[in-house]
Amino acid sequence: MGILVGKDSRVIVQGMTGREGASHSRAMKEFGTQVVAGVTPGKGGTDFEGWPVYSSVAEAKAATGANVSIIFVPPAGAADAVLEAAHAGMPLIVLITEGVPTVDMMRAVQEVKTLDAQSRAQGGEGVRLIGGNCPGLVTNGEAKIGIMPNKIYANPGRIGLISRSGTLTYEAAKLLNDAGMGTSTTVGIGGDPVIGTTFADVLPLFEADPDTDAVVVIGEIGGADEEAAAEYIAQNMKKPVVAFISGRSAPKGKRMGHAGAIIMGDVGTPESKLAAFKAANVPVADTMPEIIDLVKQALNK
Amino acid sequence: MKLHEYQGKEILRQFGVNVQDGKVARTPDEVRQIAREYGQAVVVKAQVHVGGRGKAGGVKFSPTEDKAFENGEKILGMDIKGLTVNKVLVTRAVDIDAGTEYYVGMIVDRNVQSYTLMASAEGGMEIEEVAAATPEKIIKHRVDPVTGLRPYEAREVAIKAGFKGNLNKIADMMVKMSEAALKRDAVLVEINPLFVGPDGVPLALDTKFEIDDNAMYRHQDLADWRELEAEHPLEIEASKYGFAYVKLNGNVGVLGNGAGIVMTSLDVVNRAGAKPANFLDIGGGAKAEVVYNAVKLVSKDNDVKAIFINIFGGITRADEVAKGVIQALNDGILTKPVRMRIAGTAEDEAKALLAEMNSPLIQMYPTMFEAADEAAKEANK
Repeated sequence: MGILVGKDSRVIVQGMTGREGASHSRAMKEFGTQVVAGVTPGKGGTDFEGWPVYSSVAEAKAATGANVSIIFVPPAGAADAVLEAAHAGMPLIVLITEGVPTVDMMRAVQEVKTLDAQSRAQGGEGVRLIGGNCPGLVTNGEAKIGIMPNKIYANPGRIGLISRSGTLTYEAAKLLNDAGMGTSTTVGIGGDPVIGTTFADVLPLFEADPDTDAVVVIGEIGGADEEAAAEYIAQNMKKPVVAFISGRSAPKGKRMGHAGAIIMGDVGTPESKLAAFKAANVPVADTMPEIIDLVKQALNK
Repeated sequence: MKLHEYQGKEILRQFGVNVQDGKVARTPDEVRQIAREYGQAVVVKAQVHVGGRGKAGGVKFSPTEDKAFENGEKILGMDIKGLTVNKVLVTRAVDIDAGTEYYVGMIVDRNVQSYTLMASAEGGMEIEEVAAATPEKIIKHRVDPVTGLRPYEAREVAIKAGFKGNLNKIADMMVKMSEAALKRDAVLVEINPLFVGPDGVPLALDTKFEIDDNAMYRHQDLADWRELEAEHPLEIEASKYGFAYVKLNGNVGVLGNGAGIVMTSLDVVNRAGAKPANFLDIGGGAKAEVVYNAVKLVSKDNDVKAIFINIFGGITRADEVAKGVIQALNDGILTKPVRMRIAGTAEDEAKALLAEMNSPLIQMYPTMFEAADEAAKEANK
């Protein structure tokens, strides 16, 4: 059944009535996801294409028993939307919005972590934020809480996938699918410098998941999340992990589209990431199709 | 958005930081005028968005008015790493030897999901060099993004870094710098050197300040500070269309849908033995018109000899991409060979449209590698 999302995920969409929110609500429903309601402040009590709309997350949660919220709110209000969901006790929050100011994300992520710790201390299930600037999550054959194209998740499989990039997530999922392997859960963690969940946060979930045999990590230049992931893998993981690093030819000091994809000084270089994976005995694919060969080799060992 | 030294200093001054006096000049005569007004030795400093100004001869001590004029003549119009100096900052000179130079700075640090405050007694040097050679000389401290830096934390950091002088005033400067970073959405702010004179009082002699582009909407008062002449003309045009675009030094124009796929496309072009001329992300869900503009922009670049288009449609429909490319071809805007890989949503429709055009300029390949190889071959002809 994969990790984090599945048949039991009951999803509300913050910003359902906006353009992106509406089209992805439909696509998620087509995938088979239980989308149960929308949240648009001021439109509470109305109906949107058969879904009830509430003015707040707390109302929507109370009325529907939702346990996931996906956010399509524009950047200026996105961090506030995260905090609203977190304080309403939503255990999983997926922030799709791109371009949220970093200071807002720092504050939101810190508060979510505090609420998570409080919830766990009281025996609750915690609060987890995925993203922002991410494509969301898919557990193949069960639920999609995100914006990935439905088609590439045709065949459920046993490979976990974690990625900082949306398009490369699709690319990797399709490659795995075409190779007859398929994915268990795909987690797009997002391309911003400050995000709710990192590679190192997701890896233990895959390690513990009986439906995942191996994990593919798709990283990119910028930051040191890949290095932290490599360290975690070396110390804790028994399942094989294969990596890919994007942006290996990017010049220093230039932001490559993603807010987080920038080499600053000596931090975030491809060399450092490759060295870290090498030290952790994690094979790194030079091209995306090579990921398939490496996964096969790892599984046959 | 990167700010000039004088602009960064203006922001720090607004937050109460004790900043060295200075005025901006655009002509040597203005430099002389400012030097006369100060009636003391001054430093003439090039205002350009590159590091290493000093080494390039862009910062000059000027003991007299005449020398200031002469230095103004030398520096204004100078080329530093490809950028022309249009403005200089003229500041009062300080007797550096009479005091001590320190470094303080704050950066967005994804490892701690907040800002990290950095302090070092090795002021006046490039902090990257200090970090590389003697990392233990940089004291680091996570700043709580909700409360900001508290004075006692700043004092602790200053003490650990070995700062001497009026510790309360030095810590106060760090606290004010932190307030400026949080309120003005800095990605990076540095005071270097932070000069502590014989009286123990700190003075900011130079600063670097970079604002988070995602937060510019709430700093509209600084919008006129964006200097388009400092950016590449194609980057300016790209920003009008809202593209994520970076001008690079190669011969293959690269465009795709999404930062990750474009980054990987650059890697693939390099592997194919050519160099990318640009990074261009058309974004998610681009319609034909957006693609048309992207093709127009890349075609305008004289460095581009061939174009590699790499599309994996999710929200983006491949047929919209095809329509944009075809329109550019029909309008005569597209005159360079295009080698493309087009997959994902509405892939079949896109391929049919492009096949119908039957243009030798546009060719499709099943994988990004083949398309990149062919684009590289065309570009290297």
